Amino acid sequence: MLCFINFVRFLQYIDFNKVEQLFIYDPSNQLYFSTSFFIFFFFTLLLFYRVFAKSKNLKIYTIIFFSLFFYYKNSGYLFILLFVSTFINFYFGSWIYKSKTQSVKKLLFISVIVIDLGLLVYFKYTNFFIQIINGMTSGNIQFLNILLPIGISFYTFKAMSYVIEIFIETMEPTTSLRDFVLYMYFFPNILAGPIDRAVAFLPQIAGEMTASKEDIGKAVFLIMSGLFKKAVIADYIGLNFVDRVFQVPLRFTGVENLLASYAYTVQIYCNFSGYTDMALGIASLLGFKLMENFNIPFLATSVADYWRRWHISLSTWLLDYLFKPLQMSFRRMRTFGSALAIFITFLLVGFWHGANWTYLVFGLFHSTYLAVSLLTQKFRKAFYDKVHLTGTKFLKAFQIFITFHLLLITAIIFRSDSLHTAWEVFHQIFRYFHGVVFFQWVAGYTQVFVLIMLGYILHFIPKSVDNKIKNMITASPVYVQALLLALMILVVVQVESAQLQPVIYFNF
Amino acid sequence: MVSERLQKIILNELKLDNFDLRDETTANQVPGWDSFNHINIIMAVEKDYNIRFKGLEILKVKNIGELQKLVDSKLQ
Repeated sequence: MLCFINFVRFLQYIDFNKVEQLFIYDPSNQLYFSTSFFIFFFFTLLLFYRVFAKSKNLKIYTIIFFSLFFYYKNSGYLFILLFVSTFINFYFGSWIYKSKTQSVKKLLFISVIVIDLGLLVYFKYTNFFIQIINGMTSGNIQFLNILLPIGISFYTFKAMSYVIEIFIETMEPTTSLRDFVLYMYFFPNILAGPIDRAVAFLPQIAGEMTASKEDIGKAVFLIMSGLFKKAVIADYIGLNFVDRVFQVPLRFTGVENLLASYAYTVQIYCNFSGYTDMALGIASLLGFKLMENFNIPFLATSVADYWRRWHISLSTWLLDYLFKPLQMSFRRMRTFGSALAIFITFLLVGFWHGANWTYLVFGLFHSTYLAVSLLTQKFRKAFYDKVHLTGTKFLKAFQIFITFHLLLITAIIFRSDSLHTAWEVFHQIFRYFHGVVFFQWVAGYTQVFVLIMLGYILHFIPKSVDNKIKNMITASPVYVQALLLALMILVVVQVESAQLQPVIYFNF
Repeated sequence: MVSERLQKIILNELKLDNFDLRDETTANQVPGWDSFNHINIIMAVEKDYNIRFKGLEILKVKNIGELQKLVDSKLQ
């Protein structure tokens, strides 16, 4: 009885309104991987997963249920759109597979692609097009009140990979709507990728869906490194340095603008690859293997090489489903045809990132880099052969340096709110450099400086060292692993100076 | 079974002296066979056999064995 009274007293201290708020969509309080509510969310999920260990069906429905809640918490009622997209692609996939004639098959395929891209374009680009039309005609069309469904670029591409692979007959459709819903809603990769292929994901549902000791060790490592990269390095240097400079570049010297550009380059790497690491780790604990998305991108010796190392799930998607078909149809134009195909592909890479001129110009730069690189490939090779540089370490270092700085230019455009801001950054760097300010800057921004350096060091750590650490964690007892994770969470809480920064890629 | 003729076309296009091309060999296992060279190889095969592939047919091909089968089906 006393116990009951104490319990009732305890309940009085809980503000149920606040608890209720936790479960309702609130744009200012979303459910990202590095929030404390996510830890509660994920441990509850793991508990159910453990309880239902013997029934795969219940395990699948558990992930679906939690994924639905996760997506609802981040997008509100726009999750209905994801329902629509899921059902359309599931049934069209099945109809394409069953259609008797090639023309019906083609018609169905074109219809579903038009629907997928139509929804994406409507929600993401309508107001941008209105802005352009208004600009050209000095008209005054009202902007539409369209909210961007979070993650739409990612899940649309996931869905499209399913119907495309069925159309080109490299996979058979799944007969289980439940499995397809799991693929589409799977919360670890729904907001910012990796853009996993149905052909790689669906067979995993047919598998064991359990995490081995290796999976758990790997997951602990990935979640720890992801948290550190995202919540400590990226957020700190973003808030305390990069944002300030890019807000008013003219208020800073050229050297500070250049440093902010270096800082942003490592910030976006730590932000995006950190988030991806967490996604891979979380999926791994549920027994799923997601696609690798990064492979030391700034070690690239060419821009083409960079796209094989950065956001791999997006670049291979576009390579397989857009570049290759384009290249095939332009093949009579030989190298020029390939250059044209690569130009179109990467222009769309820019556009995929969002409805802003900065993204279009970002894409245009990458298109130009890649097309020029392809067209001059033979001459450059002949030149390096002639001066006996082919295969030397010097040439490799030179290529890495040049590639990195070509990327830096695009990073400035990508980060700037407008082309005008980007122009101001370049102006300061080339016209108002003031190199001596560097030492004052290091003295004033020591923590930022250390974190930038740490970010680059972490980025350049070879895979072999990563694997050694992973193996060490795997070999250690469970309580050590739990302790390590708890320590990392503590570090993150300590460092988190201000409000949480969303992942940059959520906006795409 | 990959015919000698097909092997020769591929090796010649990639400027490789010798490389063991089997049915199950995929493009990324062969040195130099990247997405740009891919189209050159496809065109060299079309020219040598005097055949023409459709875009969709080539997209379906997963390894050299399947490319051989596609060539054979065109020749019949």
